[in-house]
Amino acid sequence: MSEINEEDWFIPPVKYEYLDHTADVQIHAWGDSLQEAFEQCANAMYGYMTEIEYVEMKETQEIEAEGDDLLGLLFHFLDECLFLFSAEPFFIARKVQILEFDRENFKIKARGFGETFELGKHPQGTEVKAITYSNMQVHEDKNELFVIIDI
Amino acid sequence: MSYANVIRKLKALGYASPESFNPIREKEFRNMVVWLEDQKIRIYKIEERAELRKLESPHWMNSFHQYCTDVGLPITLLTTPMEQIEWLLGHASRLDYADNVEKYQSQTADSVSNSQSSVPKVVSTNPLDNLLFDSPEFKKGVASLAEKLKIRTHPDQLVTLEACCKLIAARLNEDALAHPEFVIPKGKAFPFMDTDIGFNLGDPVLNKAAKILNLLYIQDLRSLQTKINEAIVAVQNVTANPKTDTKLGKVGF
Amino acid sequence: MVVRQYNEELKYLEKISAHCWRIKKGFQPNMNVEGVFYVNDHLEKLMLDELRNACRPGMVGGFLPGVKQIANVAALPGIVGKSVGLPDVHSGYGFAIGNMAAFDIGDPKSVVSPGGVGFDINCGVRLLRTNLWEKDVLPVQERLAQSMFDHIPVGVGSKGIIPMNARDLEEALEMGMDWSLREGYIWAEDKEHCEEYGRMLSADPSKVSMRAKKRGLPQLGTLGAGNHYAEIQIVDEIYDKWAAGKMGIEDVGQVCVMIHSGSRGFGHQVATDALVQMEKAMKRDNIETNDRQLACARISSQEGQDYLKSMAAAANFAWVNRSSMTFLCRQAFAKQFNTTPDDLDMHVIYDVSHNIAKTEEHIVDGKQKTLLVHRKGSTRAFPPHHPLIPVDYQLTGQPVLIGGTMGTCSYVLTGTEKGMQETFGSTCHGAGRALSRAKSRRNLDYQEVLNKLEAQGISIRVASPKLVMEEAPESYKNVTDVVDTCHAAGISNKAIKLRPIAVIKG
Repeated sequence: MSEINEEDWFIPPVKYEYLDHTADVQIHAWGDSLQEAFEQCANAMYGYMTEIEYVEMKETQEIEAEGDDLLGLLFHFLDECLFLFSAEPFFIARKVQILEFDRENFKIKARGFGETFELGKHPQGTEVKAITYSNMQVHEDKNELFVIIDI
Repeated sequence: MSYANVIRKLKALGYASPESFNPIREKEFRNMVVWLEDQKIRIYKIEERAELRKLESPHWMNSFHQYCTDVGLPITLLTTPMEQIEWLLGHASRLDYADNVEKYQSQTADSVSNSQSSVPKVVSTNPLDNLLFDSPEFKKGVASLAEKLKIRTHPDQLVTLEACCKLIAARLNEDALAHPEFVIPKGKAFPFMDTDIGFNLGDPVLNKAAKILNLLYIQDLRSLQTKINEAIVAVQNVTANPKTDTKLGKVGF
Repeated sequence: MVVRQYNEELKYLEKISAHCWRIKKGFQPNMNVEGVFYVNDHLEKLMLDELRNACRPGMVGGFLPGVKQIANVAALPGIVGKSVGLPDVHSGYGFAIGNMAAFDIGDPKSVVSPGGVGFDINCGVRLLRTNLWEKDVLPVQERLAQSMFDHIPVGVGSKGIIPMNARDLEEALEMGMDWSLREGYIWAEDKEHCEEYGRMLSADPSKVSMRAKKRGLPQLGTLGAGNHYAEIQIVDEIYDKWAAGKMGIEDVGQVCVMIHSGSRGFGHQVATDALVQMEKAMKRDNIETNDRQLACARISSQEGQDYLKSMAAAANFAWVNRSSMTFLCRQAFAKQFNTTPDDLDMHVIYDVSHNIAKTEEHIVDGKQKTLLVHRKGSTRAFPPHHPLIPVDYQLTGQPVLIGGTMGTCSYVLTGTEKGMQETFGSTCHGAGRALSRAKSRRNLDYQEVLNKLEAQGISIRVASPKLVMEEAPESYKNVTDVVDTCHAAGISNKAIKLRPIAVIKG
């Protein structure tokens, strides 16, 4: 856990939306860079679990992920974020910031700013069961991506 | 194997004073071997028995070993005089039986105990003991009892009686009469005869029989399952310790 | 996916009876067997509309239409019989939800697919009866609903209140409901009235990742969110008096409790882990499928076996989970009525799994074969006299529990011989979604949905308001349509209809 600095209080603008999908939810996230789109995608997932404005940035959690390709990287990145929430430390992030984004070796180092999920403080949203590869799209040219999360 | 066994066999073979016999005493042992060969086993011709009859001879044991080989006694397995005598007695009994098959065949346990005059005659106080189960009166009585209880009769009146007994014990005992609601199943009976048994034997009578067997099988299964459940509950009494800790999770708010 | 005009697509579909359609080979490439799906007029329209929408040019939907997914499953190696779509079918991950497919274990090429089970392994429904009547609960309905809500942890981020440590979890994964029995949370009779007697013997917790165990530990004994719920229900109609009698349901008005939940984060992680493993196995063994989502592995392969063993552990987790909530429900009722669960006759009528793969014996082309039957959003429905159903239901057939959606009816069906032959003893599982979640959030108003439930006399306790909209009855296919179709097609019989008076949700 690292110190939260002055500049960390910045809340990024919302660059994601939830798209129509029969049984599940499709996240559409974008940004000025692919890195930002990845960050936004993680934010979008946390946003579905609660009302994100209720989350205070009290502590940080380190997130590391790697994959065989960009899709695999996105999958494992989100899976790590989901795992932080689902088990000890039951961490929910107000925002996720990617510190290192290695597109050659498909590795990510990121930091989540948030706190432990607490019933009574954080409204309960919908539970995310899993990340899926289903129709997963990473558009490197347009810096946008689509992920379906299983609800 | 026991000494009592030896005495019983000696008795059966008609030995004069069985109780006094003791195979440990060398002389008695040798005498017995000769007596058995002379009277019962007779594997040797009379003249061949000479060596065995020399009871005081220092070579008697050699003659005895030869005899064992000839008669088939496994002397390497049966090493004590007791074991050897038991084997010989058994062998002699079998030969005796084979000689008199017809005589012994009728000697079943029942007929023996009947013929033993030493058993004191107990005058039965149970009136049922004096009934003649095959008599027409008895048959008629069972039939009318069954009719009263609405039980279909079986050709064997004893089976019918057993069915009557079951019903009376289960449904007409004091408790059951006082609280019939505990023994009489509630609700309507399952219309078993209308259900599909899942196969067809092509003959309505056979189908009906198969259904009845199926129902009996299900009843067996049910009682087995009930016993399993009882066993689980018995174990639970030892292992169970359900806990909840509401501090662990915030429930409802 | 083969792209054709809608009219062209229709040539591959043939209505073979009032409630059954055939999907001919060629509808999708490499189909080993034909597909089939069961619908009534209303559901048929939904099904074909979905296909028509997908045929519009420029469609980039996340999932293929259900009917295409059924056909893709028919192309998997080792499939026997037919790829079956039940009336509540809708598109899901790889397999459609409401899809049954069986694979011949004797065929070395046969596969097992986590997508054919679903993320929520052994998601299922349990029904408890009581000896209470509607008039007994109506005066305390609100309090009872609140008491249930207080007892059962629901929704995102909730944790179980039954103390568990890592060793308890390992034992529970291996023993299933035998663990709950040993610890005294449930009754011996509960186990008797459970598919597999509440324990898959093939479970091997050592095949399960640490990650899954970490997700599972805090969540054991929690209801979850999504479409999961606990409901207090009233017997509304009895169609089969004898079957109902066997289940201890005497008359209309009797009070029951239904629990719909699964293996929580544990099962989700087991499925996720397996999908990653199988992607690799598919490349190695050159297994070709029509859709990348149909990740699978040969049943005999290391990945296949590992998945089946960890899936069984997840199934055991789910049974322990439902058992823990059974315990909590009984506590809630006993406290409210100041008596014991025993005196309330709160027996488990039955417990079904509608997301699972099982090894079963079936007759294929006149021969007995050992099959791996995948049921995703599909419930086992074995006929009378089947050796694997409890002795109490030998004459009626297996009870099949069909959970409705928030505020709608639920049903109890029974298995039939026809279902055994046509669908390997499988039937529907619930309503099946009709509207997307996002659409529900946009089009439905939270308060409106709640008011409507209130007007119906239903008490509701829900952790997340958003979920109320997503799970509103309007978002789902009509469960009565679904159940009527199964009944009319003969793959299961209607026995009991239940209506909710209190709903507890995530």
